[in-house]
Amino acid sequence: MPGRARVAATLISAVLAVTVAGCAGPSEAEPDGPSAEPEWSYVSGDGQTYTADEVPERIIAEAYAAKVLMEFGITPVAIWASSPIAEDVGLQGADFTGIEVIGQEWGKIDVAAAAELAPDLIVGDWWPVEEAYSGFEAGVEDTSRRLADLAPVVGASQGDSIVSLIEGYADLAASLGADPEAIAQSRTTFEAAVTDFEAANEENPGVSALAISPWDTNYAIAVPAYAPELLDFQRWGLDVIVPDTPDPDFPYWETLSMETADRYQPDLILFDDRNHPGNEEILAEAPISAEIAAFAAGQTTTWPAYWVHTYGDYAAELTRLAEVIRATDASVGE
Amino acid sequence: MSTTRVAPPSSVARRSGRALGLLPAALVLLVLVLISVGLGSRDVAPADVWQALIGSTDRADATVIREMRMPRTLIALVVGAALALGGTILQGLARNPLADPGVLGINAGAALAVVAGALVFGAMPASAAVWFAFAGAALATVAVYTIAAVGREGATPVKLALAGAAATALCGSFSSAILLADPDALNELRMWQVGALAGRYYPVLVQLAPYFAVGIVAALFTGRALNLLSLGDELASTLGLRIDRTRGVLFAIVALLCGAATAACGPIVFVGLMIPHLARLITGPDYRWILAYSTVLGPVLLLGSDILGRVLLPTAEVPVGVVVGVLGAPVFVLLVRFRRIVTI
Amino acid sequence: MTAVMAPVGTTARRFRALSRRRLGATVVVLSAVVVLLFVVSLVVGSVVVPPVDAVLATFGVGEDATVFVIQELRLTRAGAAALVGIALGVSGTLFQRVLGNPLASPDFLGVAAGAGTAAAAALVLGGVAGFTLSGYALLGGLATAALVYFLAWHRGVSEYRFILVGIGVGALASSVTSYLVARAEFSDARAALSWLVGSVGMATPGLLRVVAVLLVVLAVSGPGLARMLRALELGDEPARMLGARAERDRFVLLGVAAVLVSVATAAVGPVAFVAMLAGPLAAIALGPTSRSILASGLMGAVILQVADLLAQHALAWPISTGVVTGAFGAPYIAWVLISAARETSAG
Repeated sequence: MPGRARVAATLISAVLAVTVAGCAGPSEAEPDGPSAEPEWSYVSGDGQTYTADEVPERIIAEAYAAKVLMEFGITPVAIWASSPIAEDVGLQGADFTGIEVIGQEWGKIDVAAAAELAPDLIVGDWWPVEEAYSGFEAGVEDTSRRLADLAPVVGASQGDSIVSLIEGYADLAASLGADPEAIAQSRTTFEAAVTDFEAANEENPGVSALAISPWDTNYAIAVPAYAPELLDFQRWGLDVIVPDTPDPDFPYWETLSMETADRYQPDLILFDDRNHPGNEEILAEAPISAEIAAFAAGQTTTWPAYWVHTYGDYAAELTRLAEVIRATDASVGE
Repeated sequence: MSTTRVAPPSSVARRSGRALGLLPAALVLLVLVLISVGLGSRDVAPADVWQALIGSTDRADATVIREMRMPRTLIALVVGAALALGGTILQGLARNPLADPGVLGINAGAALAVVAGALVFGAMPASAAVWFAFAGAALATVAVYTIAAVGREGATPVKLALAGAAATALCGSFSSAILLADPDALNELRMWQVGALAGRYYPVLVQLAPYFAVGIVAALFTGRALNLLSLGDELASTLGLRIDRTRGVLFAIVALLCGAATAACGPIVFVGLMIPHLARLITGPDYRWILAYSTVLGPVLLLGSDILGRVLLPTAEVPVGVVVGVLGAPVFVLLVRFRRIVTI
Repeated sequence: MTAVMAPVGTTARRFRALSRRRLGATVVVLSAVVVLLFVVSLVVGSVVVPPVDAVLATFGVGEDATVFVIQELRLTRAGAAALVGIALGVSGTLFQRVLGNPLASPDFLGVAAGAGTAAAAALVLGGVAGFTLSGYALLGGLATAALVYFLAWHRGVSEYRFILVGIGVGALASSVTSYLVARAEFSDARAALSWLVGSVGMATPGLLRVVAVLLVVLAVSGPGLARMLRALELGDEPARMLGARAERDRFVLLGVAAVLVSVATAAVGPVAFVAMLAGPLAAIALGPTSRSILASGLMGAVILQVADLLAQHALAWPISTGVVTGAFGAPYIAWVLISAARETSAG
C-alpha cells in the first residue's frame, strides 16, 4: 500500500505549503517615518519618542489607561481589560457605554475586532521591570500580541509615583488634543486632597501603617519601593512600614507565614483592596490575628493597591484615608 | 490464609504479635505529634512549647502553639485515619488493589465543586467551602465507581483507574477554566487545590468532627463484612452476607470518610492507597487487623509527610498533598509492576 | 498476511478490495473536511471574511485589513489546529495500536503531564516564555515517556502495566505541577495555569514550522512505520517468533508517538484527549476491517479544528481549546468503559 503513503505525503505537504507560505508573509511593524515636522509626537514610557503625521484619533486602550484618558476628555474607540470590567475595583465609576470591549480575560484580546476598528494608536501602561506594555506581557497568547501590529503602542510608565503616571497620561491626552483646562481642573482638585492628607498626618503624627494582602496561610506585606501609591503616602507624611526582608525572587512583597504574622506591629493595617474583604476574612480566621494589636483594636482599612490611574480616584482615596488617619490611635502599635 | 486456620496455636501467637505490633506504631505517632506541635515557621524553644501547652507563657507563642499547631496536628490525625480507612474499605469493597480516593478522582470532583462554589457565591471562608467539597467528593465517587462497575467483572483496577483519571481530567480542565476567568478565586484556591493542612484551625475540625467520628467508628466495625467479601460473592452470601446491602453501606461509609477528609484539607492522594497495603504486609489478610493498623498508620504517614513538608525547603512550606503525592506515586508504580503484592 | 486470509479465498479478496475503497473514500472525505474547517476558521470570527477573500488573503491578495486579519491573526491558528491535530491523532493511534488499548492515550501515559510539569517549572522558577518554554515542554514530555517506558518494561511492554504506570507517573507530575502553580507569584501562576489548559492560540509561526517539518519527516517514513505496526498487530505468535525485533519495533513506534505528542504539546500546551479520540473515531468511519494512521491523523485535525472553533466562538468570550476537548473526552472514556463492560457481560 505505498499508494496510501503517497496520498499522505501529498496531503500533508499541501497543508504545509499553505501554512508556511502564510506564516512567511510580511509581519514587520511600520517604522516611524523620518518626516521633518511631525504633527503628533509623544515621549512614551519606554523612553522612545513616537511621532505621526496626523494626530491619532482612533485609540484602543487598556481599560485603566482608558479611564484616565477619558477623565481628561479623550475617548477611545475600544478597550480591553484583564478581568471582567464589572468586578474590577479599579474600574468602578468609569462609564464605558458606547465603547467596544475587545477583551475581559487576561491574555485574550480580539485583535480581529480591533483591526476592523482601524486604530491609529494603542495605549497601555509601560512596566519598566517586565519591559513590556500592559497586554503584551510574557504568557499572553500570540494572537493577542498581534494587536501591536495594528498601530504603535504607547503609554505612561509605571514608576515610583502615581502622580508621574497620571501626568504621563496628561501629556498623552494633551498631545491628542485634550482641553488643557479640564486637565488643570482635575489636578487642582487632586492637589487639595493631597494637602488634606498631609494635614491629617500633621494633626495625628506618628501613625504607622502596614500594607498587607493575606492569602491562604501567607501574610504578604507590600514593599513600598514597588508600590507607587505607598511611596506617595510616605512622601505625604504617612509612616508606611518598610518590611525588612522582601522575598528574594519577587521583591514586591515580604511573605510571612501566618505563625509569624505578629512580627510587625503597626497602628493601622491597610488591606489590599483588590481582594477585600476576602483577605480580611482570611486573617480573621487565623488565631494569630488576635496578637496583631491594630487588627484586634479594629484599626484597619483598605489601600488602593496598584490600580490608581486618575486624579479623581486618587483624590477620593486620599480624602477617605485622611479621615481614617485622623481617627487612628497612634499608640496601638510599637 | 488456610494455613492460619488449620494451625490455631500459631494463630494465637500471631494475634498477640499483631496486637503488640500496634504499640510501636502508636509510639511513632506520639513522637510525630510532639514534633508537629514543636516545629513550625515560628521559632519556639522546646521548653516554651511545653509552657505554652500547660498555659503559662508569652501570649503570642501560646496562640501559635495551642490554636494553630494543635488543630493542624489533630486534623492530620483524623484526616490520616479517615483516608486510610476509606482506602482500606474501598480496596476490600472493590476487591481492587489500586482503589484509592485520589486515584478515583474524588479530589478533582471536590476541587471543582469548591471552585464552582467560589465562582457563584464569591470568596468564602473555609468553613463554607467545605460543604461544596463534601458534595463534590461524594458525587465524583458515586459517578466514577458506577461507571467502572458496569459489567460482569465489576470495577477492575484498570477500569477504576481510568474512570478516575478521566474524572480528574474533566474536573481539572473545568476548574482551570473557572480559575482563569476569576482571578480572585485563583488567588484564594490555588493552595487548597494542592491539599494542605496549614491554615486549618479549630472551626474546621469542630464542624467536621461529627462526620469523622461517625465515619471512623463505623469503619472500624466493617472488618467482618470485608473478610467475607474477600472470599468472593458466592461464598460470602452462602455464609449469610447480604451482598448488595453490605456494598451499599460500605460505600456510604467511604463517601463519608473521604468527603470529610477532602473537605477538611483539600485533595490528598495516595494515603488511602499506600496504608492498606502496608498494613496488609504487617498483618496478613484479616481486614479487622488491617483496619486497626490503618487507623494508626494513616495518621503516621500524613503527619510525617506534613512535618517533612515543613522542613524540606528553607524558604516555604511544601503542602502535605505534594509530599504525599511524591511519596505515593512510586508506591503506585511498584504495585503495578509487581503483581505479587497486588493480589488481595 | 495472505496465509492468514487464504482459507476464505475469493470472498476475502473482494472484501479487502471493498475495504480498501472505503479507506480511500474516508481519507478523501476527511481531507476535504480538514480543508473546509481550515477555511471556516479563516472566515469566522468577530470579523467575518468571505471565503474567497479569505483564501486570497492567505496569499497576500486583497485589502490590507483583510490580509492582516487572515495572515497575522487567523492563519497561524487555523494551521496549528490542522497540523497539531494531525500530529496528535497519529501519535494517539500509534500508542493505542502498539499497546492494543483504546484508552492508551498520551493523556494517561503521563507524557502530557510531564510536559506540563517541565513547562510550569520553566515558567515559575525561571521566568521562561515563548520558544524556550516549548523546548522545556518537549524535554519534559520525552523524559516522562522514557521514564514510563523504563518503569513499565518488564520482559516486554504489557499494555495495562504501561497505562497504569503512566497514570502513576502522571499523578506524580501533576502534584509537582500544582505545587509550582500554587507557590508561584500571581501572574506566573496565571500564565502557568493558562498554558496547562492548552490552547491552539498559543502556537507561534516558529513552533508551527517545527511541527510541520516533523510531519514531513513522518510522511516520508510513514510506510516503514505502517509496516512495523502491521507486523506487530499480526498477533503474538509471529511477533514472539521474531522476538527482539518485535520489541525494537515497538520501541521505535512508541518513540515516534512520544516525539509527536511532545512537539504538539510544546506548540499548543497539553490539549486533552485529542490523541485519544482520533483513532477510535477514524475507526468508526473506516469500518471494522481496515485501519489507517493517515485517517487517524486527519481525524485528529478535524477534532482539534472543531474544538478550537467552539472554544473561540461558542461562548460570548473565547475560552481555551483544552477546556472544550476535556469536556468531550471524559464522557467518551466513560462510554468506552461501559461499552467494553457490556461486551464482556454479553459474551
